[in-house]
Amino acid sequence: MTTEPTDPSEPTSPEGQALQPRRFMHLRWDLDKTYLRTEFDTVKDLIRTFRQKAEDKVAVAGASALLRALLDPRERSHRRVTFISGSPRQMRKVLTAKLALDGVEPDMFILKPNLENLLRGRFRAIRGQVGYKLKALLLSHMAAEHVDEYLFGDDAEQDAFIYSVYADILAGRIDAVALAAILSTCKVYRGDVDEIMAYHRQLFGSGEVVRRIFIHLERRSPLDRFAGYGARVVAIYNYFQGAAVLFEAGALEPRGLLAVTAAMESDGYTPERLANSLQDLMRRGVLHFGTIERMSRELAAAESTMGRPVPRFLHAFEDAIGSLENLQRPGPRWESEINYLGIYHEARFRRQQHRFLGIRLLD
Amino acid sequence: MAHIVLDSCAGRDGGREALEAAAIASLQLDHQITVVGDESDITTALAKIAHDAERLRVAHARDRCEPDMDAAEVLRQAPRNSVVVGLEIAARDPSAVFVSAGAPGLIVAGAQQILGRIPGVPHAALAAVYPTLRPHGPVSDLFALLLDVGATVECSGDDLVTFAAMGAAYAAKISRIDRPRVALLCNGHGISNAPARAREAHRRLLAARPAFEYVGCIRADSVTSGDADVIVTDGFSGDVLLRTLEGVAATGESLLRRAAEKFQWRVGVQMLSDGISAIREFTDWENYGGAPLLGFDRAVMVTQADSGRRAFLNAIRLGAKIDRLQVIAAISAGVAEFHGLGAPPASPPDPEAT
Repeated sequence: MTTEPTDPSEPTSPEGQALQPRRFMHLRWDLDKTYLRTEFDTVKDLIRTFRQKAEDKVAVAGASALLRALLDPRERSHRRVTFISGSPRQMRKVLTAKLALDGVEPDMFILKPNLENLLRGRFRAIRGQVGYKLKALLLSHMAAEHVDEYLFGDDAEQDAFIYSVYADILAGRIDAVALAAILSTCKVYRGDVDEIMAYHRQLFGSGEVVRRIFIHLERRSPLDRFAGYGARVVAIYNYFQGAAVLFEAGALEPRGLLAVTAAMESDGYTPERLANSLQDLMRRGVLHFGTIERMSRELAAAESTMGRPVPRFLHAFEDAIGSLENLQRPGPRWESEINYLGIYHEARFRRQQHRFLGIRLLD
Repeated sequence: MAHIVLDSCAGRDGGREALEAAAIASLQLDHQITVVGDESDITTALAKIAHDAERLRVAHARDRCEPDMDAAEVLRQAPRNSVVVGLEIAARDPSAVFVSAGAPGLIVAGAQQILGRIPGVPHAALAAVYPTLRPHGPVSDLFALLLDVGATVECSGDDLVTFAAMGAAYAAKISRIDRPRVALLCNGHGISNAPARAREAHRRLLAARPAFEYVGCIRADSVTSGDADVIVTDGFSGDVLLRTLEGVAATGESLLRRAAEKFQWRVGVQMLSDGISAIREFTDWENYGGAPLLGFDRAVMVTQADSGRRAFLNAIRLGAKIDRLQVIAAISAGVAEFHGLGAPPASPPDPEAT
């Protein structure tokens, strides 16, 4: 665990145009609570989710618009999207149909073998995600020379943890000994450990591939919970925030940003809510004032070219960030050595407090 | 949807509980919330609290006011304090409700400078609710309204009459009382021995045909009976009366705690614990949601200096209700009707006033 991290946002100029045009972009999406609005907190929710038809499933506001924008047909040959979900394999048909309804065609769609786990008595694997998702991420890693990965997960499970471990394996910062300790702590089954270690041997040190890990705060967890992962993990309250960060990094075209804004608006988001979201990113040092100015310019241009009623948005943006114009907030640090075991135990302690003492998870 | 502007520089734990209340409100209520204070401190604190950043915005207030300064000194030495910045935000948005646990004197002075006045209201009144024995109105509201409790210490008869009109309009909306019963607070010897301002107000209220029912004078020992829905007095007497009521409640609490000294008493208190809890809940000021400052064209909620999360949350809820029921417009109309004014457009802020 020695390699120093490089800030993936560094190659990007402030104008956000420095990404090489022909680089591959690999998007990795979780499904439930990240892409889809899913309730599975109770058995009743689980049954309802399982019985839902494709047309009854609802995507999180802006998620499909962002994904479609990132999978721009003009760039599609250099873009790849993989869905890795904890949903059972039996749901593949309905989930594929839902994605097709949204105009999203995944290159890879990995679902969890829950029935197999049940029949083999691997009960820990039914609930646990670390072994399954880490293996799936390593399995579906795209071995190309110039590839940027953007990962999308949520705060309902351990996505930030798993995605960061994956990123650090590729970056050469988690060696075999450290990985074995992590997998052992997470109580991953022996067979999965063997497979993951085999992938580790192949992929260790592939490079600083993972640019950003977006964690959709479906449960509105406190932001500090993700501070230990460093700047690579960006906790977002909505996909407008995700689009803004990708726009700043040059990974999303202005028209993509406009499409996400329009999708959020039609989903009931007011200009004030979007402006608050921008201010939040700015105060956290994730987004810079110049980027918001550029976004406003793009919106203003859209008014003349697309006839969109944007003055309310511009006014709201100005109102939210105008007084913070001189804010010089340093962004979060890129962590060179993440204390995975510490983070894991802290989260476990929190869950136990919740389970046995009734202390709310969000406090 | 209301726009709640919350001053996070005052309240329990240096305003930390105000911020926590804003965070909870952002998760539970569908309102735009602007938290005013030191942006850097707020952002650092918010990172540790679950909140919804889509509904919560931060407005930076550069200056911090020291608790021992008086209002004029604060406005001179710390002009960009959280009260001033918050009131400026409220002044720009008709749906805004300003909530603060700051010094009432500073809030009144700031509001006079920044907010527009309701026509016909020369001085503001701070209205507090207090529990009564008899419920009020069709919703059986157990609380009555007492104003003024400290905004205008020196009152004229005209002020008292205006307070009556404002209080009645407020009670009509919030407690849904068609014709609120309004009384003047007097001493024990009837109106003849009352000060000149009270005598003048009494005469004018008797002579007028207002939209409320004027029930005459009421003595301080009858305020909790519930004979009146609104009790009107000057800011000095109102503050004294309110503090007395709170002091009596606090003394009752202390006496109960003393009961722990003897075993038999402890057993007795334990047996009555459900009833005591109910009374405690009933008299707990944190449940009332702060005191609305009436007389301005925006809703202003003043909470006690040591307000905690619950008090702020209730103040936010009450402020949102005031916005939803358009109470300020109703007060404006009530005052205009009483004084025989025309249509009531809100007056612009008076820069000379302090």
